[in-house]
Amino acid sequence: MYVPSVTHPIGDFVREWVPKLSAYLPEQLQSQTLDTIVAFLVNAVICIVAVCAVNIGSAPILIYMERKVCAHVQCRLGPMRLGWHGTIQTIADVIKMLFKEVYAPSGADKLMFYLAPLIVLIAPFMVAALIPFDKNLVVSDVSMGIPLIIAVNGFGVLGILLGGWSSNNKYSLLGALRSGAQMISYEISFAMILLFVVMISGSTNLMTITQSQAGTIADWFIFKIPVLGFIGFILFFISSTAEMNRAPFDIAEAEQELTGGYHTEYNGTPFAMFYLAEYIALVTNSALATTCFLGGFHAPCIGVAAVDNYLTMVPGVVWFFAKVFFMIWCYMMVRWTFVRPRVDQLMDFEWKFLLPVNLLLLGAGAAYIVICG
Amino acid sequence: MSTLPPGFRIQRETNTEEFFINMGPQHPSTHGALRLALRMDGETIVELVPHFGYIHRGMEKQAESMSYLQYIALSDRQDYLTAIQNNLGVVIALEKGMNVGVPEKAEYIRVMLQELGRIASHLVFYGCFGGDLGGQTCLLFGFKEREMIHDILEEVTGSRLTTNFFRPGGSRYDVPDTFIPRVKAFLDHLEGAMRDYERFLSKNIIVLERSVGIGILSKEDAIAYGCSGPVLRASGVNFDVRRANPYSIYSQLDFDVPVFQNGDCYDRYKIRIAEIHESMKILRQCIDKFPKEGPWRSKEKPVRLPVGRYYSEIETAKGLYATYVVAATTGEKPYRIHTRGPSFPHIAALNKMVQGHKISDLVTIMATLDPVIPEIDR
Amino acid sequence: MGIINYAPKILDPIPGGKYIVNLVDYVVNWARANSIWPLTYGTSCCAIEMMSSSMARYDIARFGSEVFRASPRQADLFILAGTITRRMAPAIQMLWEQIPGPKYAIAMGACTISGGPFIYDNYAVVRGAQNLIPVDVFVPGCPPRPEALFHGLLTLREKILKETCRHPWHVGRPKDVSTMDRYREAAKTWAALEEMKDEEMAEARAKFKEEHPDYKSAFKPIRIKKEEFPEVPREPKGAAGLTQSELFAKLRAEFPKVTVHTHSEDPIEDVVAAIPADCPLEVLVEPEDYLSMVKFLKENPDFDMDYLIDITAIDYDDHFDMVTMLRSIGKGHKLFLSVQLKKDFSISEEKRPTALLATIDSISSLYPGAEIKEREVYDMFGINFKGHPDQRRIFLDKDFVGYPLRKDFTHSEIIRRPV
Repeated sequence: MYVPSVTHPIGDFVREWVPKLSAYLPEQLQSQTLDTIVAFLVNAVICIVAVCAVNIGSAPILIYMERKVCAHVQCRLGPMRLGWHGTIQTIADVIKMLFKEVYAPSGADKLMFYLAPLIVLIAPFMVAALIPFDKNLVVSDVSMGIPLIIAVNGFGVLGILLGGWSSNNKYSLLGALRSGAQMISYEISFAMILLFVVMISGSTNLMTITQSQAGTIADWFIFKIPVLGFIGFILFFISSTAEMNRAPFDIAEAEQELTGGYHTEYNGTPFAMFYLAEYIALVTNSALATTCFLGGFHAPCIGVAAVDNYLTMVPGVVWFFAKVFFMIWCYMMVRWTFVRPRVDQLMDFEWKFLLPVNLLLLGAGAAYIVICG
Repeated sequence: MSTLPPGFRIQRETNTEEFFINMGPQHPSTHGALRLALRMDGETIVELVPHFGYIHRGMEKQAESMSYLQYIALSDRQDYLTAIQNNLGVVIALEKGMNVGVPEKAEYIRVMLQELGRIASHLVFYGCFGGDLGGQTCLLFGFKEREMIHDILEEVTGSRLTTNFFRPGGSRYDVPDTFIPRVKAFLDHLEGAMRDYERFLSKNIIVLERSVGIGILSKEDAIAYGCSGPVLRASGVNFDVRRANPYSIYSQLDFDVPVFQNGDCYDRYKIRIAEIHESMKILRQCIDKFPKEGPWRSKEKPVRLPVGRYYSEIETAKGLYATYVVAATTGEKPYRIHTRGPSFPHIAALNKMVQGHKISDLVTIMATLDPVIPEIDR
Repeated sequence: MGIINYAPKILDPIPGGKYIVNLVDYVVNWARANSIWPLTYGTSCCAIEMMSSSMARYDIARFGSEVFRASPRQADLFILAGTITRRMAPAIQMLWEQIPGPKYAIAMGACTISGGPFIYDNYAVVRGAQNLIPVDVFVPGCPPRPEALFHGLLTLREKILKETCRHPWHVGRPKDVSTMDRYREAAKTWAALEEMKDEEMAEARAKFKEEHPDYKSAFKPIRIKKEEFPEVPREPKGAAGLTQSELFAKLRAEFPKVTVHTHSEDPIEDVVAAIPADCPLEVLVEPEDYLSMVKFLKENPDFDMDYLIDITAIDYDDHFDMVTMLRSIGKGHKLFLSVQLKKDFSISEEKRPTALLATIDSISSLYPGAEIKEREVYDMFGINFKGHPDQRRIFLDKDFVGYPLRKDFTHSEIIRRPV
């Protein structure tokens, strides 16, 4: 029987202890298969809790960070009153949202209406399970990591479409259709950039991709192939921004036009879920960018042993999250600097510019591997 | 479609399914309580019908039982972004009736406050334009410098927004001694700030894509609908009341009337930026020429108008603001006061501009028309 | 009913349970009081001050309230910024119903408190938001400064901190009305103190008078001398284009019946020549000449009146005076056409306030901008426009009775200004 392995520090510990504990069970119940399954289940529960904790725990931090970044870009202070510099402001927001009245508008498809936010949450959670946070800190180390991410990312659009359609509101429907068209289009360039990464690393496993960037900064994929890597990184940045429905590509929400787009009719906890999904997607996309281009959990070594020794003393998780938060900061700065393109311009940009450039990039990458690799 | 809702007129024979969207009265980009009924073909607007009156406060009826001076306070509440300019519009009409002249210093105070009000209004436009395009940061940048103007206005008039300052023959008070230095400091600050702001939007590729060639209003249409101010001048018509019928001391000041030719959203944006620079030029001239001594108001007379009809027009930041006062009996109360606000024709011309554009473009066009709804509804 | 409203029912009977309920109250109230998301709503001047309060100088974000939601379903706070008109009132009530509870309302500005400047002689304004929705905090001012709005917000915060899940917000009135009570108590105490002071003063005055029967005050009020201002003569600034006399002469050549309104015996040309240069010429036109004259003025190259400034009307006892203001953009002259429309008195007297009393040709085929102006005149005066493509009410509801700018207009909601 195949039981997927789970690599995290506690995993081996659980695998070791489950047979020891099962020795106390009656004779006829003891079997190796049962032990493996129990060990897997226990590990799985631990992983689920960990993923949830990372994702849900990071959302309030990110919302606070977004409000502060936005405020400082706009010459303001941002939240200041609750806690030191408003640090616990988002906690108040979360508690308030949880205890807010929840209702669906009349004429809405109730089942779909309440299902949509849950579906939106699936994609970022599943992607988070595939990301290697450290050498032995990954929830499921699947060999087909990149194809799985591409497949799972499509889930988000389903939730948004459902939410917009079931709200019985024209603004929501327009927003949902916009976002459907947008996400399906940008999925293509998103997938192509990941294929570019697969091509240069020669693997679809995210752990292998990270490991092949070991060494100095120059070994990270953003710098490994001159110019091409950087172009790929920029393209990934653009298409993932569109993939996440974040400004400047937030035409699906477009507060000035559609008063909130697909989540116009949502309130209370379901709305909080949409909000949560947006920020978890931010984490996972930043983590993906870190894994694919910025060397994952590797320290930014510069090739000088005296410095590198100190840099590598810091745990990989810390480096990983430092890079992730740098990426998030970039996304936020872009959000509060640019204005929003129109819906047809966005489509034109994808099909007439990003896609050809992506194809060229793939060709150039292949040529580079053939000539230099 | 056999039965169209009231207001919609265009007859089409298509097989596509049309639907109607109701924008407003509570909508973030209708700039107040305006309701726009949209007839949509997918994302494309087929026809637009504006519905007014959600903030119709019956000012003209109320004015019939108020004194002339009280109406100056009501004029603040029409176009609240340029309240100080509306005051002047009413006051000039009253001066014509009372036959009161204005001393030189008072004229300079008037012109300076006018131009400060114009800059304030255009800064709000800058913010709303950027904000409606999706750049929330622009919104805050526009309001940042506007607060400095409000500080000056507060120091001079005692109020931030609803100033109620001018009176026939001058103004309510003299300006404080700090007025000129503060305006000077503000202008020096604004010079640098405007450079930043223009760099932020004027050359931005997404802004260009969103606004060039969008919402074109031809020269003929602009005149026919009675548009005025920056909207008219962006369509290539050189018409500015400050030049055509100079009031106050505008005839003695050296300034250009910027005129752009294309009549699209980008030109309407550029023309307001150019006007801010022109206003700064006027302010600098006024600072140089400002008379230190001299009376700041003419001899005080009771505000009573002889029988007749008095008309005044001024150029506010939005366009031609005309006041028509009818005095049927000599007394303190008008028989009727009518105000012609500049935004009303702009919204009437909106349908012409948005046809065939996307719903996102409607937001851009609305922002560049820069309407103030209470001034339409009164 | 929210989840937490079950907490007191279950926990209160259990010994010690009420402490848990109190704790829940404390935590939830803390969260609600500190995370108030307002709705993007504003109609007039106060909306600009509300916007200013969220901008860089004042920054409502410090209190965690910068998350202005455009959709009422995600908002907590309804800041009623700006005048509420009768036409807007249903929309406001609908918005209020759409906000999920617990919800709060701040009435910002004088208009939403009592009608403010629009309280007298007004048929369109609702006098106070409390007539429509329950208001938590009133913020006076016209418009209130952003600081005043913040004070309102903090007052609301205090009010929220006093809530309890034992008396949920949506079941009846909250039992804890201590804020209001405190206010009433303070008002009572204040009144009592004032009365006491008055009595004391009266006593002291009487006592003083007894002791010093011959006392005469040496105090003389010092009045600041009013500044003497010179009288400045007004200089009419000449307008460009044709002068009034030229305009009138040319117009008269084409339409001999044209006159100007005057009571003097002088020849009409002298009257026209006496008009100051900056006052536009206003000519009296026969209703049947109106359309042809506007057409002539628009197409004749001498006049070239291509720009319609405005159309308005004035109501007199027996006629309407409809004024069409025209202007030439190229040449710069203005011409006002005043059309006297006799009221149709064949309509019975009780039907007159709601009937269209006069008819005139529409000029919307010549000037597209005239369409909305004529709708406004129709709406306000009840003048019928022949050939108007879309003659509907523009500012008032379609079932509004009467035409407000007529002098004999009455409305049940009007309060007359005390003289």
